Amino acid sequence: MSTIIIGLSLSFLLFLLSAGLTLIFGMLGVINFAHGALYMLGAYTSFQIVQMTGSFWLGLLFAPVIIAGLGALIEILALKQVYSRDHIFQLLLTFGLILVIDDATKLIWGLDYKQVPTPDFLSGPVSLFGSQISSYRLFVIGFGAAVSFGLFVLLDRSKWGMIIRAASSDPDMARTLGIDVNRVRTGVFALGSYLAALGGVIAAPLVPIELGMGFSVIIDCFIVVIIGGLGNIRGAIFASLLLGMTRAAGYTYATEWVELLTFALLIGTLMFRPAGLFSYKGRTA
Amino acid sequence: MKRRNFLQTAGAAALVTTLPAPMLRARTAEEFHIAAILAFSGAYGLIGNDMRKGAELAVAKRGGMVLGKPIRFTWEDDETKPQPAVQKASRLLAEGAQMMFGAVSSASTLALQSLSTQRKVPHLVTISADDAITKRDGAPYSFRTSNTLGMEVNMSMEFVKSRGLKKIYAVTADYQATRSGFEQFAELAKAAGVEIVGNDYAPLGNRDFSVIIDKMARSDADGIAVMATGNDGITFVKQAAQIDLGKEKVIFGPVLQDDVFAAATGPAALGVNSGVRYHYSVDNPANKAFVEAYREAHGAFPSSFAGEAYDGLSWWLDVVEETDSWDVDAWVEAFANSVYEDSVEGRKEMRACDHQASQVGLWGEVVRGEAPMPELTMKITEIFPAERLFDSC
Repeated sequence: MSTIIIGLSLSFLLFLLSAGLTLIFGMLGVINFAHGALYMLGAYTSFQIVQMTGSFWLGLLFAPVIIAGLGALIEILALKQVYSRDHIFQLLLTFGLILVIDDATKLIWGLDYKQVPTPDFLSGPVSLFGSQISSYRLFVIGFGAAVSFGLFVLLDRSKWGMIIRAASSDPDMARTLGIDVNRVRTGVFALGSYLAALGGVIAAPLVPIELGMGFSVIIDCFIVVIIGGLGNIRGAIFASLLLGMTRAAGYTYATEWVELLTFALLIGTLMFRPAGLFSYKGRTA
Repeated sequence: MKRRNFLQTAGAAALVTTLPAPMLRARTAEEFHIAAILAFSGAYGLIGNDMRKGAELAVAKRGGMVLGKPIRFTWEDDETKPQPAVQKASRLLAEGAQMMFGAVSSASTLALQSLSTQRKVPHLVTISADDAITKRDGAPYSFRTSNTLGMEVNMSMEFVKSRGLKKIYAVTADYQATRSGFEQFAELAKAAGVEIVGNDYAPLGNRDFSVIIDKMARSDADGIAVMATGNDGITFVKQAAQIDLGKEKVIFGPVLQDDVFAAATGPAALGVNSGVRYHYSVDNPANKAFVEAYREAHGAFPSSFAGEAYDGLSWWLDVVEETDSWDVDAWVEAFANSVYEDSVEGRKEMRACDHQASQVGLWGEVVRGEAPMPELTMKITEIFPAERLFDSC
């Protein structure tokens, strides 16, 4: 049972890390290589807020908002110029953003490791099913589930979601209906950046904060996005659960096979459902 | 240009580029040029920067001179990868560098070592710990003045015995050096009658140890051996503290913690035990002078990386000075048989058989520091004599 609980915490952490990436790809068609850098920036910003206020919760509240603002600026100043061009320009641009964000982070915070302690009341373990489970892990499960539900409602059930989907699938038609497509795109990129930073803040008490942390998560994010179906939030939730549970079972019974299992899932998906398990075509078939 | 002249010039150029570097520079040394190939970015960027601070102090201490000539560093970033390390070092050797200093990662260091053997250029290693770097009758121009992983694993077993631990659960970062480290640890455990109740290989760069930590908590082990360092070690200790693993079991590792890693881990590191390569608290005149100079220059206590770089380079330059010669082979011969009484760690002796410095081993526990010490610092709890850590040559 403890394996399932830990698997859920792995899954929702993965979802928080990859949700922004899948949202930006799904709604804007942009493969955002800088997603990991924004995740890292979220962790550093929360560190700064914790240093100044002593509160993890203020970091959780404000760091993603700050990074969302930065994301909006990036979209207005840089990304907007390349929407009409080939995908390669978007890739190059977001790759360039990684270098800029990395160097800016180095200049502001230096090279040394930073750390954010676990909030006091979540720092101890809880006895569940004969195992000691970290309270913080339980919080990650609850928080991740809430965020995934919120995103689902926002994108699939709200008027805002309908506007976003309309602007994504037929921007010209959306414009004729009076929708400011440019503003919608800026908002979507800001929301994706918000989610990347949220992942960084949530991960901060679990890992050291350092310059390479963005790079180390981006591969996992892409695995989730590819398995779930490019740009599909429901797919991202399912892929995160699949990957998290596979890893939890792998670490329990065959540690050395975990990476192999992970990439086997990825290769299997690419072979049999190249557009992902929850691609639009897949769902309607 | 006539055909004959062209062929002569081209032939001479080809000869020059294939000659061992010492032959090229023997007559033209106007300065002592050190090719410093370190990681200034990537996973080990922090380590490279600290090493640079230590190395620069070692040169400043002697007025920036050796053999009557100014010492010049060229700093190059290998991005923690062997290929850039070799490319950049090759260029600097072609420009006449007298020696190589670095790298940080063992993979880069081993790559530089091959270059050192091929070009017959001295190569000083002050941090990489892979045992393969100082094999018996190995690279003739390469020397390591810092710890080996092997001696740190030996220290870990000495610690297990001194604490009376009987059952160990291990987690090992899944790459060659730490796998070898675990195998050595398992052999030592068997010889000492200590049972290994479990070992999990976790991928290098693993970000989630929760399942492994759960298995450890449910085992009857009284000790947790962590064969990992850097990000992996920090992540493990942080996550282990979230279920209070350290309250029930003793957590330790050959290179699990030092002051830099403890600062990154936070209060979760308290009580964790580890081998330490260098520590500012070692009580001897050489170390006191170094710590004072470092604090004056950088406003902080030196890290293991800075201390080891300072110590190794000071030792090497002293030996070069004593030879009173620009003959590279004379430097190598002298260093291979040298003893450093003024080491910041006590006494070091270079072993001629494998070019590894024989030295004491420091072992410590993370405790709360009092100002002006860092908030979390290593308290050196044991100093193991070299005889208990190194096989005879």
